[in-house]
Amino acid sequence: MTSQGVEPVVAVDSRSTEAVDVGQPHGYSYPSSHPGPQSLPSSSGQLTVSSSGYHYDPQRQMSVSGDTQEGINTASHASTSTNLGAENAQAYSGYVPYSSSTVPYNYTSVGYQNSFYGYHLQGNDSSTQQIGGDQNSGAAYQPLSTFQNSGSYVAPTSYLGTYYNAGDNQTGTGYETNSYNYQTSLWNDGNYHSYPYHHYSSYTTSSTSSAQSSATISGNSLYYQQQYNNWPYYQSQPAPIVNGAAGLENTSATSLQSAGYSAEGASSGYPYISNQPPPPGTTSWREDSRPSGMPSFQGKEAVTPYHLNKNWEAVAPGMQTHHINQSSYFQQPLNSTPLPNEKHANEQKVLYSLAPNLQHAASNQVPENFQPPLQTVPLTETRQVSKMQIPTNPRIAPNVGVSMLKTQKESCIVSAATKPAYISVSVPKPSNQSSSEDAAGAITKGTFPPSFCAYVERSFARCKDDAQRSANQSILKQMITMATADGTLFTKNWDTEPLFSLPVDQSQQSLVSDSSLPTHKRSPTRRKSRWEPIADEKLGEKLTSVDSHSAIDARWGQVEAAEKKVDSKISESKSVNGWGGFKYASFQQQSALQKFGQRPNKKQRFSDTSSVTENGDPSSDSDKEQNLTKYYASAIALANSPEEKRKRENRFKRFEKGQGNQAELTNFRPKTAGGGSMYTRRAGALLKAKSYEDGCNKAVEDIDWDSLTVKGTCQEIEKRYLRLTSAPDPSTVIVICITLYSSDMHDLHTSFLDVRPEEVLEKALQMVQSSQKNYLYKCDQLKSIRQDLTVQRIQNALTVKVYETHARLALEAGDLPEFNQCLSQLKRLYAEGIQGCYMEFAAYNLLSIILHSNNKSDLLSSMTRLSAKAKDDEAVKHSLAVHSAVSSGNFILFFRLYKTAPNLNTFLMDLYVEKMRFEAVQCMSKSYRPVIPVSYITCALGFSKAIQMEDSQDTSIDGVEECEEWLRAHGAVLTVDNNGELQLDAKASSTTLYMPEQEDAVAHGDASLAVDDFLTRTS
Amino acid sequence: MAYLSMGEAHRRITDYLSRFSDAVSSQDAAVLSPLLAVSSNSASLQSLADALNVFQDSNRLVGQMERSSQLAEILSPLLRCIQSYRLGRFADAYVALEKAAKYYFVFFFCLFVSKIPTLFWFMTVWRWGFFSAFLQEFRNWETPWAMEALYTLALEIRLLAEKADRELASSGKNPEKLQGAGSFLMRVFGALAGKGPKRAGALYVACQLFKVYFKLGTVHLCRSVIRSIETARIFDFEEFPVKDKSTCNVNLAQVTYMYYTGRLEVYNENFLVADQKLTYALMHCSPRKETNKRMILKYLIPVKLSIGILPKQWLIEKYNLIEYGEVVNALKKGDLRLLRQALREHEDRFLRSGVYLVLEKLELLVYQRLIKKIYVLQKQKDPSKAHQVKLENIVKALKWLELDMDIDEVECIVAILIYKNLIKGYIAHKSKVVVLSKQDPFPKLNGKPVGS
Repeated sequence: MTSQGVEPVVAVDSRSTEAVDVGQPHGYSYPSSHPGPQSLPSSSGQLTVSSSGYHYDPQRQMSVSGDTQEGINTASHASTSTNLGAENAQAYSGYVPYSSSTVPYNYTSVGYQNSFYGYHLQGNDSSTQQIGGDQNSGAAYQPLSTFQNSGSYVAPTSYLGTYYNAGDNQTGTGYETNSYNYQTSLWNDGNYHSYPYHHYSSYTTSSTSSAQSSATISGNSLYYQQQYNNWPYYQSQPAPIVNGAAGLENTSATSLQSAGYSAEGASSGYPYISNQPPPPGTTSWREDSRPSGMPSFQGKEAVTPYHLNKNWEAVAPGMQTHHINQSSYFQQPLNSTPLPNEKHANEQKVLYSLAPNLQHAASNQVPENFQPPLQTVPLTETRQVSKMQIPTNPRIAPNVGVSMLKTQKESCIVSAATKPAYISVSVPKPSNQSSSEDAAGAITKGTFPPSFCAYVERSFARCKDDAQRSANQSILKQMITMATADGTLFTKNWDTEPLFSLPVDQSQQSLVSDSSLPTHKRSPTRRKSRWEPIADEKLGEKLTSVDSHSAIDARWGQVEAAEKKVDSKISESKSVNGWGGFKYASFQQQSALQKFGQRPNKKQRFSDTSSVTENGDPSSDSDKEQNLTKYYASAIALANSPEEKRKRENRFKRFEKGQGNQAELTNFRPKTAGGGSMYTRRAGALLKAKSYEDGCNKAVEDIDWDSLTVKGTCQEIEKRYLRLTSAPDPSTVIVICITLYSSDMHDLHTSFLDVRPEEVLEKALQMVQSSQKNYLYKCDQLKSIRQDLTVQRIQNALTVKVYETHARLALEAGDLPEFNQCLSQLKRLYAEGIQGCYMEFAAYNLLSIILHSNNKSDLLSSMTRLSAKAKDDEAVKHSLAVHSAVSSGNFILFFRLYKTAPNLNTFLMDLYVEKMRFEAVQCMSKSYRPVIPVSYITCALGFSKAIQMEDSQDTSIDGVEECEEWLRAHGAVLTVDNNGELQLDAKASSTTLYMPEQEDAVAHGDASLAVDDFLTRTS
Repeated sequence: MAYLSMGEAHRRITDYLSRFSDAVSSQDAAVLSPLLAVSSNSASLQSLADALNVFQDSNRLVGQMERSSQLAEILSPLLRCIQSYRLGRFADAYVALEKAAKYYFVFFFCLFVSKIPTLFWFMTVWRWGFFSAFLQEFRNWETPWAMEALYTLALEIRLLAEKADRELASSGKNPEKLQGAGSFLMRVFGALAGKGPKRAGALYVACQLFKVYFKLGTVHLCRSVIRSIETARIFDFEEFPVKDKSTCNVNLAQVTYMYYTGRLEVYNENFLVADQKLTYALMHCSPRKETNKRMILKYLIPVKLSIGILPKQWLIEKYNLIEYGEVVNALKKGDLRLLRQALREHEDRFLRSGVYLVLEKLELLVYQRLIKKIYVLQKQKDPSKAHQVKLENIVKALKWLELDMDIDEVECIVAILIYKNLIKGYIAHKSKVVVLSKQDPFPKLNGKPVGS
């Protein structure tokens, strides 16, 4: 391979190129890229097609990302091999031979790939950048990954970790980046066929060791890579100027070509379609892709008969998610504009601009690790690069330019350069932290809009088995985390949100979850708002980080000694980041916990870490933090599709309207703390809650629930009761009902209410009490009052009053279920020592147990709890008397008590009267002979309206009639004696009595729920 | 407390640790159980606790010893528990013990799965809340020796939880530890229930669960336990010879089980079944355990009363159950007032033990006795008219007992007595007379509940 010869040079260059990513078209890299000749034609072709300027941007980005990724990949490879030792041995071995064969590859792997690629495919000239861009165009996101990498960069191992993270944590973007990386690797492979494979193998091994999921991830990533790789090729191929083909031919690595080619088929779909009149294969591919998210892959399969296909198929599930992401980014541009390049460029720009956030994370990490390398690296290179970029990037946001400048400055003074990076890092940090906190809290917290709940339900609905469910859950957790971090949880239209794809099997699930999450997730409103100011810094950081990369690369040989350190780090990062959803969760938790503990110190810490790392002993904490930041950065970057951006803009505007709400929605930014200490407190409490859930020893009582209390502002007196309701609106307070019991989504309920403060609720209660409307209306109103009280955690006399009122109303209306609800609440409230009509309700309680639940142990415990004073109370005494009447079957006593019941006891007894009467008649018919006068029964069974006036015929006459009717209805045999008095024939009746079917019986067994009846009773 | 040198403390702790790990490795339950019996107040554990107070860094010791480090997840909370218990911090002790118990399970699970329990296992299995999953595996696990220690653990958990709750309640906090113990034991029970050698363990744990539930007043939770025990036919009463020493625990568990299920039947007013179960418990109860017998009798006597069997006076006296003395007297005399007095007097006690409602129902039997007395008196005076008892007379008799009831009410009560087969006869409403059957007007219950 020509490249090999060049490699030595490349090694240095590659690093530099990486660093330069954006613009590094230096002679350096190019010369190194020697294989270039091939690439030149191709690249030039591309360039020609699109406007140069445009090309540049995209390419730059692409190239950058690609470079970094490549670098990362290679680095990771190297690191993995070295670090993992036994585990990675395979990969390593593969790698080693490879490197050796290829030449000074180690560096190369990084530098080489980058340079190689970029140069290779693209013209060695200025075009190289572009080429890189093209290849990477898909990878525009990569910057994110790069960041991660940079962070991880400290050690090669860290690279691996980052890589994995990217794959796992980042959703669509992460994948894309990964795939890009792979592509790059593949490209390299193109040159060195064996190389990529080794790569993969190593990956898998490492991943397996670290986590089960990792393996799958690697697999997926591979697939992606392939596709991506294909993509660049495609472009080149379909284009009048066939880059890939030419390059391949030139390189003379035909086998490589094939690999790359196949990959092209798959990945190229996007660019291809949009850009160029596709070759037959591509067209087909495209078609496929359009119909479904997946199609692209299929198309690939068809197109490419190569070995890659295998991977493909397996990947498919994971791919879908990927596709979605991609499609949002790529498809649109491609389709809409004849000039694919431009679009790409634009997109890339967007992405790029977004990327800075990611860079933050990266930058943080980077400074520590890289400073030394920076020094070693020739400054000139970096400068050149930056300069180069500037001209190329004009399209890219002014920010970029600025950043470039900054970088230049930085590069001038090596040490200085790094320092600024640090500073900038510290700024972003807080946000990251907070987001991480949020993430941690989010799951437990469960502040979810109803639409999201529905979304969750949907997602769970399609789970077929436990594995899927768990996968689904982990995915959802991540989604929530991310969405919360971004503040999009409430703003996103979950109803229209497509469901992420479910993993087909365990191994893939982790991948899928990762990839899918980010895609849907992030549209950070907060980010947005901060966007402009921060961008500059970030870019600068990024550049520096890049530089450091290059520096490191250059020093690669020297680095070997440091590899050991790296190893340890890798392992750390592995454990921290966790590849599977599972691990991921743990990681989050860990980090969250950690953060919690560290919080106060955080800022300082951060800045400190840099110095620490410089000293050569980075703490594990900082590592974790880095990972976290990386993760978030990447997530954010991923979120930055144009579509998302638009959406976000809209949302953002909306929130600007809602005063103060934004603060909350943005998840407790530290900045908002000043304005709303409450929020921060809440965050803290939530964190605690979270930590509790983690199985830590913290007791529930340690959670500061008070800090979670909400206070309402709504002034409306009348409000309808709604269970899960309206979307949040600016003057609405979001209410969180936390079920800490489990993090399972099903336990989380949220509602959005217009919450009324206590004073208003009091008025509302009065309104209800004096209202002339029917029970249904009152019940509704009282329920909404109760809801508001609950939500604000108001538990005082007012609460008791509300429940008492409601219980009485429910009793009067015969609404037993509602009554029982109120009663149980009242029991609790009384137990807390809040004053109310305790006696009255104790009596109700006894009665309802005696007459309705008939639960002996409940009765016993209720009776045990009665104080001596309570037993003297009229109502309670009455209840106890009812109890003894019922237990002995003393119907005379029962109906006497029925007539003299205090309060609303009558209403409770009402429901038992029928039963009592029937039993009494049965008893009578058995024990009396020969006859019983109906008039006596009328008195005994309480049919007469006024028992005191029983001797006056007039008053009891209707009672007798009613009694007669009732007796006949129950099958009694009535006779008339000589005096014309109606008698019950006891002996005859004893065999004919029966309990008639209730006429108003309803299917569900509760007549009180029959609507018509209910309405007539209550209105 | 005598001064304890650091060296001595160190020695005691390491001694404990080595005994513990020896017991585990030699699978010696007899040694292991006392080491887990935190609340036994045994001298060795107390001295250990003192040592722990002196030597604060016991966890390090646990980690240092090669054998004990394997068991570190069990041992360090256990040590903490022992220490807290000694210091009277029962809530802390409970928390630590529950943790130790969880790890105990995990440990033996790991032992079962991999033969080499490693820390890694602990971490993964435990941290991710695989406890339940692991308990599932526990079902298949055949190490009966560990069962013995499990008894101790289950008992300790309950005892400590009770103490912890008392402590929490006195300090004004929410006493919830017993509840926690209940749910913990329930999970353990779930793992044990089923066939195989563990069913005896399941029975034992079930008994602890009953105790917890009865204490908490959530007896309805017993139902599921009983159901799973009875469907699994966990024990066959004939299967375990009572005198076999190895099944001593089983026997105890059986008695306990019968006692609690009998109590449940009392709640449900299934007097026949309750009688059966409680009688079984009484018969199989160790003759030396007077308190246990008394507890059983506390429920058995009301049950027997309500099926018409009165205890001998000496029994009531022997077991110091005088609260029943008056009730029995009231039944004998037909003295309703006495019954009501007795009920009022001992209301709290009866309510708490749950027999109040049962005793309340004895009223009808007292009425029966009263009317029988009237009948006997009438018979002495005028045998020909004896079978006609005027309701008025009953009202009068009640008035002598200072109970004011009108004739309607008396009529109603007589009607109920007739309805419930306590009196044979009928009421003539017009003449307000109860006409008694000439043959056996007051049938005896003879071991059948009222109304049957």
